[in-house]
Amino acid sequence: MATSFPFMLDGETHLVTIRARRPRLVVEVDGRCYTVDEDPAADGTTRLAIDGRAYDVRRTREGDRVHVKLDTTNYSVGYQDPVTAAQHDAGGDDVLRADMPGVVVSMTATPGASIASGDVLLVIESMKMQINVVAHRDGTVETVHVEVNQSFDKGAELVSLHPSN
Amino acid sequence: MLDSLLVANRGEIACRVLRTARAMGLRTIAVYHHADRGAPHVSLADQAIELDSEVPTSAYLDIPQLVAAAQSAGAAAVHPGYGFLAENAGFAAAVEDAGLVFVGPQPDVIRLMGDKVHARAFAAEAGVPLAPSALMEGTLEEFLASAREIGLPLLIKAAAGGGGKGMSIVHDAAELAARARTAMSEAERYFADGRIYAERYVERPRHIEVQVLGDGRGNVVHLFERECSVQRRFQKIVEEAPAATLPAELRARICSAAVTLATRANYRNAGTVEFILAPDGEFYFLEMNTRLQVEHPVTEMICGVDLVEAQLRIAAGEGLPWTQDAITTTGHAIECRVCCEDPARDFLPATGTARVLRLPHGAGVRFDGGLGEGQAVTASFDSMIGKLVCRGEDRRQAIDRAVTALGELTLLGVDHNIDYLARVVDHPAFRAGELHTGFVAEHADALGTPRLDADQRAAVVIAAALGVDDFRRLAWDIPEPYASIGAWRN
Amino acid sequence: MARIQSSIQTGAAEFRRHYAHNRRLAAELHAKQRQARFERPARDVERLARQGKMMPRERIEKLLDPGTPFLEFSTLAANMAYGGEAPGASCITGIGMVQGREVILCAHDASIKGGAWYPLSVKKIVRCLDIAIENRLPVVHLCDSAGGFLPLQSELFPDKHMAGRMFRNQSILSKMNVKQLALVFGHCTAGGAYIPALSDYSVIVRGTGAVFLGGPPLVKAATGEVVTADELGGCDLHTRISGTCDYPAASEDEAIAIGREIVAQWDVPPKWAIQRDPIEAPYYDPDELYGIIPDDIKRSFDMREVIARIVDGSRFHEYQPAYGTTLVCGYANIWGYKVGILANNGVLFNDSALKGAHFIELCNQNDTPLVFLQNITGYMVGRDYEAAGISKDGAKMIMAQVGSHVPKFTVMCHGSFGAGNYGMCGRAYDGRLLFAWPNHQIGVMGGEQAAKTLTEVKLKQLERAGDAVDQATLDKVYNETLEAYQHQLSAYYSTSEVWDDGILDPVDTRNALGIGISASLNAPPLERGYGVFRF
Repeated sequence: MATSFPFMLDGETHLVTIRARRPRLVVEVDGRCYTVDEDPAADGTTRLAIDGRAYDVRRTREGDRVHVKLDTTNYSVGYQDPVTAAQHDAGGDDVLRADMPGVVVSMTATPGASIASGDVLLVIESMKMQINVVAHRDGTVETVHVEVNQSFDKGAELVSLHPSN
Repeated sequence: MLDSLLVANRGEIACRVLRTARAMGLRTIAVYHHADRGAPHVSLADQAIELDSEVPTSAYLDIPQLVAAAQSAGAAAVHPGYGFLAENAGFAAAVEDAGLVFVGPQPDVIRLMGDKVHARAFAAEAGVPLAPSALMEGTLEEFLASAREIGLPLLIKAAAGGGGKGMSIVHDAAELAARARTAMSEAERYFADGRIYAERYVERPRHIEVQVLGDGRGNVVHLFERECSVQRRFQKIVEEAPAATLPAELRARICSAAVTLATRANYRNAGTVEFILAPDGEFYFLEMNTRLQVEHPVTEMICGVDLVEAQLRIAAGEGLPWTQDAITTTGHAIECRVCCEDPARDFLPATGTARVLRLPHGAGVRFDGGLGEGQAVTASFDSMIGKLVCRGEDRRQAIDRAVTALGELTLLGVDHNIDYLARVVDHPAFRAGELHTGFVAEHADALGTPRLDADQRAAVVIAAALGVDDFRRLAWDIPEPYASIGAWRN
Repeated sequence: MARIQSSIQTGAAEFRRHYAHNRRLAAELHAKQRQARFERPARDVERLARQGKMMPRERIEKLLDPGTPFLEFSTLAANMAYGGEAPGASCITGIGMVQGREVILCAHDASIKGGAWYPLSVKKIVRCLDIAIENRLPVVHLCDSAGGFLPLQSELFPDKHMAGRMFRNQSILSKMNVKQLALVFGHCTAGGAYIPALSDYSVIVRGTGAVFLGGPPLVKAATGEVVTADELGGCDLHTRISGTCDYPAASEDEAIAIGREIVAQWDVPPKWAIQRDPIEAPYYDPDELYGIIPDDIKRSFDMREVIARIVDGSRFHEYQPAYGTTLVCGYANIWGYKVGILANNGVLFNDSALKGAHFIELCNQNDTPLVFLQNITGYMVGRDYEAAGISKDGAKMIMAQVGSHVPKFTVMCHGSFGAGNYGMCGRAYDGRLLFAWPNHQIGVMGGEQAAKTLTEVKLKQLERAGDAVDQATLDKVYNETLEAYQHQLSAYYSTSEVWDDGILDPVDTRNALGIGISASLNAPPLERGYGVFRF
C-alpha cells in the first residue's frame, strides 16, 4: 500500500519501493525484496551490491529515461515523475506521441476536427520510411503540436485529442 | 606541400582529418552549422566558419557557401570527408574552379563511378568480373524479360542509388514485377531517377573491398582488402582487415582487379573498389567509392599507414608515398561502428544527449569519434557517432580486444548499439569467420537483447531507481531515527 | 555509561504471570485499535468505493515516504463515547515523514458519518495542531468531512478549545512560518472550508473534492437555489475562479503526488542540535517489559528495569543513586538523543522531590530533553512530612518542571494518582507528548482508596444524622464508588477523552519517544528562566 515508483524496462512496468533502510537498504521490486549497498567508486562509477552481488554502475537521467550501464551492459529504463505518472493513469491517452524521431511529411489533422479510430492524422518520416500516425480512438482533435517539415524527437507530442470525448 | 586545409564535413571524420592535417603542420579550417557549435571538430580546427542554413544537413551540402568559406579562410585545399559532398562531382569541380585543391579524385572520375550503369560498363571494359545483370533501358516488360534470363534469385536496385534504398531481393518469379515497380517508385522518390537494374543475387555473399591509392598519372597501389560483410539495413556495422578468411591466391586476384580498374580510370587519391564474393570463390564488381571510406582505419591499423596523410600528400602533388612492394600488413584489425540507434527496434535511430562518454584504452585500441560529452544527438545527422577500432596480432586477439573495449566504452544519455556490437563480435560464428551479408539476420535471435530473469531485471531497475533523485533521496537521505525505525506503526 | 544490571528472572513464576497478563492487555489493545481503524459498516465502505475514494489510511500510506514510521495519536479517541459511533473520533492524526520532512498528518475519516466532527474529533484535531505549533511541524490536512456533528453542536462549537480553535491554530502556524498543505479529497463543509482556505497550499480532486461554507441543502434552505456540490464548490470553481484552492487533480493519486511534490519544495529549517550519539539498540529485550509490569495496580516495580528496555544499549548514568531513591533520575540516550529520565520507584518523599527538582534544573542547564516515566501514588502524606515541607518541596518540583525550556515527554507506565501526576509532568503541564500503557490508571486517588474514603464520609454523615449505620448501605457506597472509579480510571477511558496522545504497547515506547524527541527539536528551546522557588 506504500507509495511505489513505476519503472519501465523493455515495455514492462516494475513497481519499486523502499521497505527498510537499516541495517541495509531494502528495495522491493514487484513484491520481492533486495538488500542494496552503494559505494561511490573512482571515475564517476558507483559500486552497487544487490543481494550481495556486486555491479559497477554508471547512469544518467535523460528526460523520462534513465540510462544505466551495469558492468558492461547498457539498459534504458523509463521513469516518470510521480505527478506525470498519476496524470497518465488518470487522464488516459489523449496525446499521441512520436515513437521515434523524425520529420512531419504531411498533416491531415486540424483542431476541432472529428476523427474516427484508424483515421490518418499525419504522416511522418523516420529512417527514410514514411509512417502513418493514426487515431487510436474516436474523438475530436484538440491541438496539433507540429507542422509539416518540422522535425521532432522520440516522445514528442504530435496531436492531442479532446479529453472529454 | 599544402599549407592549409578546410574540412567540409562534421563529426568523427572531420575530427579524423583535422588531426592528421594538424600533425602535418597545416593550418586547419572547420565548418559547422549552428546545431554543431559545441562539437569537437569546431574546437579542433584553428579556425571555424559557421554555415548559414535552416536545416542542419543542408549546411554541409551547400557548395557555394563551402567554397566561399574556403576562399575567405584562404584554404589551399578542401577535404570532403565521406558522405555529404564527398562523391559529388559538382563540388569537386567547384573547388577546383575556385583554384583550390580538392582532396579526392578528378570530377569526371567521381561522376563516372557515381553512376552505377556507367561504372559497370567501365569495369566490364577493364575486364573486371561483373555479376550477370540487366539494366532497365526501355519498358518495364523488356526489363522483366531480361531479368528473368539471369535467373533467380535476383537483386533489384536503383540505378542511381546507394545506401540500400530501393533495394530488394526477389526469390519468387511471381513477385518480380511487383518488386520492380516498388523499386522504381522508390528510386524515383529518393534519387529522382526511376531507372532500376537487376543482377544475380548471390546467396550468402561476402562484401570484400580493396583500398587503392592513385596519383592521377596512371600509378596505382592497393593496401589490401577489407571485409565488410556484417551489415544491418544494408549498411556496414563491423568491418575488418584483412578479410576473415581469404585464400592468398584469391586475395591477389581481387586486389589486382581493383588496381586494374583504378589504373584504367587514371585514378587520383584514395578510393575503394567493392566486390561481392560468392561462396564458390567467384567475385563480382559492385562499385567504386571515390573517397575515404568510413572503415579506412582497419587498413591503417594493419598497414601501419595514415591514409589521410597519403591523401594530402597526393593532393599536394607529391605522388604516391609508397611503392606496392613497400606495403605490407601485420596482424588483424576490426572496426565497430558505434551508432545511436535501438537494435531491438530494427535499428531505428535514437536521439538524446551524450551525458557521459568514456572511451576505452589499451594496446591496439583506437576510437575515432566526433561527439563530445554533453553534445546532443539529433535526428538531423547520421546516427553513427564514432568507430572503435581494435588491432591484434591475430584475428582472435583483435576480437578479444574489441569485446573488452566495447565493454569499457561508455555512452550514456542516448540509446546506442554498443552492446549489440559486442554480441556480434563475440558470436561464435563471427569468431569462426563464418561471415556473409545476411549474418545479422541469420543470427538475429542470438544477437537480440538477452532475456533477463526477474532478479536481473530487478538489479537493473534498482540501479536505475537510485539514479533518479526523487528515489535516491528517499533511499539515502531519510534522517534518523526515522531511517532506523522503519515502517513501524503503533 | 554503564549498562543497567537487570535482576529480572525470565523463568520466574511471577515474571511469567506478568508476561501473560500484559501480553493479554497488549492483544486487547491491538484488537481495539484494529476495530477503530478498519471495522466499518459495509455500506460506508461501498459508498466510498463507489465515489472512487480511498480509505483515509490508504491516503496516508501513499503520502508517507515508503519504509518510514507513522506515530499515530489517540487511535482510541472516543472509544468509550457516543456509544462507539465514532471510532478514532472519526479522524486520524500523527507524525510521519513526507519527502524526508517530519510533518503532522491530520486526516478526516469519511467512512464514519461522512467524516462528521464529534466533540472529541475537534479535541483530537485541535490537539494535533497544538502539537504542530509546539514542535513547529508542518501539517498536511487530508480533508474529507461533512463538518460538525449537529446534534452535539453545543459540545463542539462555542468554547475556547472547540472548533474555532482549529482555525486559530492554523493561522498561528502560518504566522510562525510553519507550512500547511490541504489535500481536498471530499467535502470541506462550513467551518471545514477554512481548512484549505487557511492552508498555505491546497490541492483539490476533480469530481469528489468540494469546499463551501454552506452545502447544497443549506443553500436550498437559505435561498432556494438548487445547485450541485461540484457547481457550488468543486475543483474547477475553486482552482479557476475563486482561487480558494491552488492545484486541480484528476484523481486522489494525482492529488497525493502533487502534495508530495509541494512538500518537497519546503525548506527544512535547522533543528535544535542537542547532544546526539550513535544509535544503539537496548541490550535487554523490550519484550521483557511484559514480564516486568505487575498485574496489580498497587504493586511497585523497579523502573530501572523499564529504563533498561527503552534506552540505547540499556546504558544509564544515574544521578544521586543513594539519595531520594523513590525517584530514579539520570541520563541516557534514546535513538541517539541524550535525555534526562525521571522515573518513580515509589511514593515521592521530600528528598526525592528535591532530587527531582534539582535534576530537572540540571537537564535545563545541559539542554537535555526530559522523559518522565510515571508510576506514582502521590507525595507522602502525614504530619511529619507536612512538617518537613512536603508541599513546598513538591511545589519546587512543579516549578522546575513547568519552567523547563527543554521538551518534556511523559509515559504513564502504571498508576498516576494524586499530586504526583503534577510534578511528573501530567497532561496539564504542556509535555510535547504524553502516552499511556494499557495497564495504566489515572485519578485523584486509586479506586479502593476512593471507595474507602467515600464510605468513611458516608459513615460520618450517618453518624451525624443519628441514623443507624447499615453495613449494607456502606457496602453499596463502596462498591458503586469502586465500580465508577474502575471505569473512569482505566487507560481506555483516558484515551477516549484524549487525556493522552494514545495508548502504547509498552514495546513501542522507545520508537514513540524517539519520534517525539526528533519532532520536538524542530522548535527552538522555550524561554529560559524559572518562577520563585519556595525554599
